[in-house]
Amino acid sequence: MFWEEISHTADLSLHVWGEDLRALFENAARGVLDLMGGKPDEHLPMIEKSYDLCAPDWETLLVDWLTELLYLAEDEGVLVSTVTVTEVGDLCLRASVSGWPGGRYDKLIKAVTYHDLAIVPTERGYEVVIVFDV
Amino acid sequence: MRKQDFQRIEDYVWEIPASFRDDMQVPARLYASDRLLEAALGDESVDQLVNTATLPGLVKYSLAMPDIHQGYGFPIGGVIASRTGDGVISPGGVGYDINCGVRVLSSGIEAEDIVPFLSELASTLYRNCPSGVGKGGNVKLNDKQFKSLLHEGSSWALKAGYALPEDVRRTEEQGCLKAADAGKVSSRALSRGIGQVGTLGAGNHFIEVDIVDEVFDANAADAMGLVRGRVAVQVHTGSRGFGHQVCTDYVRQFQEAVRRYGISLPDRQLICAPFHSEEGQSYYGAMCAAANYAFVNRQVLTHHIRRSFEQVLSGKLDDWHLRLVYDIAHNMAKVEKHNVDGKTVEVVVHRKGATRAFGPGYEGLPPEYKDIGQPVLVPGSMGTSSWVLTGTEDSMNQTFGSSCHGAGRVMSRKKAKSTIRGDQLRAELEESGISVQAGSLPGLAEEAPRAYKDVDEVVKVVTGAGIAKKVARLIPLAVIKG
Repeated sequence: MFWEEISHTADLSLHVWGEDLRALFENAARGVLDLMGGKPDEHLPMIEKSYDLCAPDWETLLVDWLTELLYLAEDEGVLVSTVTVTEVGDLCLRASVSGWPGGRYDKLIKAVTYHDLAIVPTERGYEVVIVFDV
Repeated sequence: MRKQDFQRIEDYVWEIPASFRDDMQVPARLYASDRLLEAALGDESVDQLVNTATLPGLVKYSLAMPDIHQGYGFPIGGVIASRTGDGVISPGGVGYDINCGVRVLSSGIEAEDIVPFLSELASTLYRNCPSGVGKGGNVKLNDKQFKSLLHEGSSWALKAGYALPEDVRRTEEQGCLKAADAGKVSSRALSRGIGQVGTLGAGNHFIEVDIVDEVFDANAADAMGLVRGRVAVQVHTGSRGFGHQVCTDYVRQFQEAVRRYGISLPDRQLICAPFHSEEGQSYYGAMCAAANYAFVNRQVLTHHIRRSFEQVLSGKLDDWHLRLVYDIAHNMAKVEKHNVDGKTVEVVVHRKGATRAFGPGYEGLPPEYKDIGQPVLVPGSMGTSSWVLTGTEDSMNQTFGSSCHGAGRVMSRKKAKSTIRGDQLRAELEESGISVQAGSLPGLAEEAPRAYKDVDEVVKVVTGAGIAKKVARLIPLAVIKG
């Protein structure tokens, strides 16, 4: 795994790393979905969705990307099973996800925050700590 | 941050002077006992309190209540007042669950009479009150009806048959912030909110059936209909996905605004814009719409709760009716007038995990509460006491008319999950006579009583400091969680 939950008194905090920015964004998505848990209703046909996002800085792009997944989960009720970030560059991201509609997550994550959010280059590639409101 | 960085101003008031950090505009004050101060120093909450003291236009000081704990941007329990003229409004300072709040209902039911029906009542409440992650409600609305709800708040609920006239009167702001503007709300927020009216959600939200265990102010308790030994009900929830999306949208939009207005912040989550700017007014209109949504959400849940009591108790008890004591917000920004250095100043008071606690005589109170002050509702954690207090004149002078909102967490969710088993906790609570209905056992474990501070100690601080007065203590009989 390329993420770990770290202690936060009131909310949830996730430490994520990846060998490059593409991997970091993909792992962050997998990490948040892991935190939310859930059980799919595999009787329904899977749906797929594509994303093309751009932002003024990398941290905002990360918030936007994870916010899209939370919206897909809550408003459209999609229990995401596969996330693929195909391209990250020039402050833009291209990704696709697939999953089952009608699934139910175990845990509610209300939002992705900017609290102390900083993507930093390290020996492992890139790392970030994300705080989620729950 | 260390205890030595504070100056003790009063027995329960500690201050970090504005000279502590170059970017502080005002001092930062914390209401705490020695024990609660030590607890606050265990995470980042005091650093977050100091960060709030850097925002533009602040008057007097930034504050935190004794239930302070680490949040994001603002600490939970934080209060600031920023001048409307040259100050700011901060979506991060209100938080994602706009107008998350609590209401308490009173009854004439003797607790001993309800015990035989408690388990059936808990399961009926769980069935009738939709709860859980993303769960939709059973109030079907078209776009026009939904926008009326957002503009009218509790009055809409009254017209739609979900409220009694007394409910509206006994809700903060009569359940309607008139500045609400659905035109400032994104289509995504409308889409998330339209199907969730009258739903509890998950996390720390709950419905609790309580017994009034002790009365401390007979006059105030009498005005509120709280009688020792009788049943009361608490509801804790907010604006659901609608509020989350409003905050998400404006935190994103304001990232550009802070650059444009030249506002320097120690944490991007403290994002804000001048109150009278186009961005500030747009957020304020949308936030008020989300606040109205939350008032209606708790009101529709109240309707479901009353229906549940009738289904289970009708024909078995003479009087099963529930009357609203009061409904208050604890995540909100409000335009208010306060006395600052002898002058009346209009400010935007941000309360993030803190409630209003207005004293006697405040004109927005219902007539029956004019002499006692505004009810302050302080839920505990499952298995511990909750409190009904009243606001005081002193709270107007000390804390912009604010008080605590709950016990405040002390243990991280990660640690709670790893050290407490949900099934064991449920068994412990059941053994102590508390009926539990929960959609998620890991979720129940995260909300275990030992993950929270001692609510009685929190209440001791706010009453000892004179910003609230004890009225009654509630003890849980049944807990319903998503």
